[in-house]
Amino acid sequence: MMPTSHSDRLLRLLVEFFDLPADTRPENISQQLLPSWDSLAMVQLITELEGRFLVNFDIEEIQRLRSYDEIRDALRRKGVSLGVQATSRV
Amino acid sequence: MRSDCNLAMHERGLASLNLVLQWIHSFPDVQKSAVMEAFDSASLAKTRRALRLLEELGPDQRGPVFEVEMLSTFNLEPLLPVLQLALNCLPSQARLRLAALDSIEAHIAHPATSGSHVVCNARIIIWRIEEALPEALYPFSHGFPQGLSARVDQLLERVERVVALHKRNSPGIPLFLSTMALPVNFANPVSAAQHPAGPFAAVARVNQKIYELAAPGDGIYVLDLASWAASRGSVYTDATVDFLARQPLTAKGQVGFALFIARCLRALVVPRRKVLALDLDNTLWGGVVGEDGVNGLKLGHEFPGNVHLRIQRELLELRHRGVLLVLLSKNNEADARQAFESLPDMLLKWDDFAARKINWNHKHENLREVARELGLGLDSFAFLDDSDYEREQMRQAIPEVLILNESSDALQTLRALWETDAFDAFFVTQEDRRRNEDYALRGARSTEARQDDLETFLKSLEMRATIEEIGLPNMERVVTMLGKTNQFNLTTRRHSRAQVQAMLELPGSIPLALRLRDKFGDQGIIALLLAVPSGDNGTLVVDSFLVSCRALGRGVEDALWAAMLRRANRQNVRRLEAEYIPTAKNAIVANLYDRFGLQRVEHNSGSTRYVSEQVSLADFPPWIAVKDDANKP
Repeated sequence: MMPTSHSDRLLRLLVEFFDLPADTRPENISQQLLPSWDSLAMVQLITELEGRFLVNFDIEEIQRLRSYDEIRDALRRKGVSLGVQATSRV
Repeated sequence: MRSDCNLAMHERGLASLNLVLQWIHSFPDVQKSAVMEAFDSASLAKTRRALRLLEELGPDQRGPVFEVEMLSTFNLEPLLPVLQLALNCLPSQARLRLAALDSIEAHIAHPATSGSHVVCNARIIIWRIEEALPEALYPFSHGFPQGLSARVDQLLERVERVVALHKRNSPGIPLFLSTMALPVNFANPVSAAQHPAGPFAAVARVNQKIYELAAPGDGIYVLDLASWAASRGSVYTDATVDFLARQPLTAKGQVGFALFIARCLRALVVPRRKVLALDLDNTLWGGVVGEDGVNGLKLGHEFPGNVHLRIQRELLELRHRGVLLVLLSKNNEADARQAFESLPDMLLKWDDFAARKINWNHKHENLREVARELGLGLDSFAFLDDSDYEREQMRQAIPEVLILNESSDALQTLRALWETDAFDAFFVTQEDRRRNEDYALRGARSTEARQDDLETFLKSLEMRATIEEIGLPNMERVVTMLGKTNQFNLTTRRHSRAQVQAMLELPGSIPLALRLRDKFGDQGIIALLLAVPSGDNGTLVVDSFLVSCRALGRGVEDALWAAMLRRANRQNVRRLEAEYIPTAKNAIVANLYDRFGLQRVEHNSGSTRYVSEQVSLADFPPWIAVKDDANKP
């Protein structure tokens, strides 16, 4: 029901960001499973997500952004369009 | 709102990206596009990819090793990749070291324990008001005004102490001290500005101290982050990540910050350009002096003359900063000189130019000659010209020359002068300021064109010409050209529409227009030839033959002449007559018909008349694809 193009873009961003194999499954992208997801990466990731999707995360969200699913849910809650027409940047 | 902000940031960011393109012009395309993509997207993954690709280049492509040490009051660690990339683009093999957060004095004072004993090419100290003087954000909680003033005094002493410490422990290492930006997240900007000891004045005092400590001769420089922040900073900040990691910049902000720092350090690595060679028409003034006459030129306090006036101000300032100005103009020297002498708003004077080459030679030949005369390398030159053709020819003929602008628009030329870093230098010596006077003007002297090089260049323009009959659809342009063209114009006959119409109606007339397209776009109709029959013995007289000034030097006249000969041959013309009528402006075509192989039969001060007793066909120039299928009924 939910178009997947935007989620896929998120997946691509995370795969590139953490330098993961291209076929990495979303459920395998979490802070728990990725040693490179340290506090520095966290800061860089937040800056990158905010820049790419033109959103600001609030404090509570930031503390929960620990996996692909949580980031995807937060972006959806921000009203980031998940439609095919969604644009990532101006 | 947020996306508007980002749009503005993106557009303003482009200026820096143009600079980056100039910095990395010697990189292979793969690296070049990876770098541009990284900066454009502000993506960490793309930044790391670009860094990996740069590692594959040889040392000669990458530039010198450049060790930079950074000390900061906020967390620069998340910015390391983008800083590294920006410095690599100088180009250099940048190696960045970050001192522990908030350890400025300790790091400089105890090099052995902190690791700073390693020699570096530059040390940068970046501090901001939020950490160095947090009381300024809360003046009334800190005994405003005396309490705040006392804290500012302490900070000034600290800044002095840091510089003294650096000089003692690391003599010879260039030190870059940042200025401090006004706080962005600050609750009371109205009252903060109302007192000489208020928060904003406090920041100004600190920065004033930093400017006073600058001593470029001793290797103490200012990295003016306050100026960067004033123009770009506020939209680049992100309170969330600042709280999270004491790193105040958005992703785009990090790119802007890194490129700003790279630009400031660049003058250590790359010498500035010493000479700016520039064009006259449509640069120093609006219009073409040879065509529009001095009275038709636009220069003054009204739009658009004010844009050209501002260009002249920038150029004059450059001259006083020790950059040599050189004129390269395709013009009659007398016309150019007259404009300098009689335009009331001319700021630049004839003698402000260290050399002037005003002739019809190729600009790259003139530039080589100037380089020889001034004893400077070709890589000392920057070039400014409104013509796509001239810039492209220069780019191909002398790749070492930096092309400053990239469009024919005067405002873009002005922006190029505002934004270029080609003339960046930390200081201007008395010697620099006198340099222009030291170079005497030498007489203009042309060198032989290297014909094979020229043909290669002309071919690269991908010129396609279409020969059209003159008629209703193009009549307006034809009459305008007849009325305006002065330089490449054999007879300068200003025919009216009715006169042209009358010539078209003569049986056997050959009225032709040439429309030119090249890799820059459609140049429109840029050449005309009007030939009419005379008597009944098969004589054809060339009444008018002209080429627009923006298409000179490309051989379009040869194409149009060959097209005329084909028709004349088909019509069994047996004798060709032509004439050159000299004016103050058309010396460029004085020998055109000699070159075409016609015989001079009469020559006096008012005219030179030519005849050809046979009509032999000529080839189209091999560098122009000519489409000529129009058949006159």
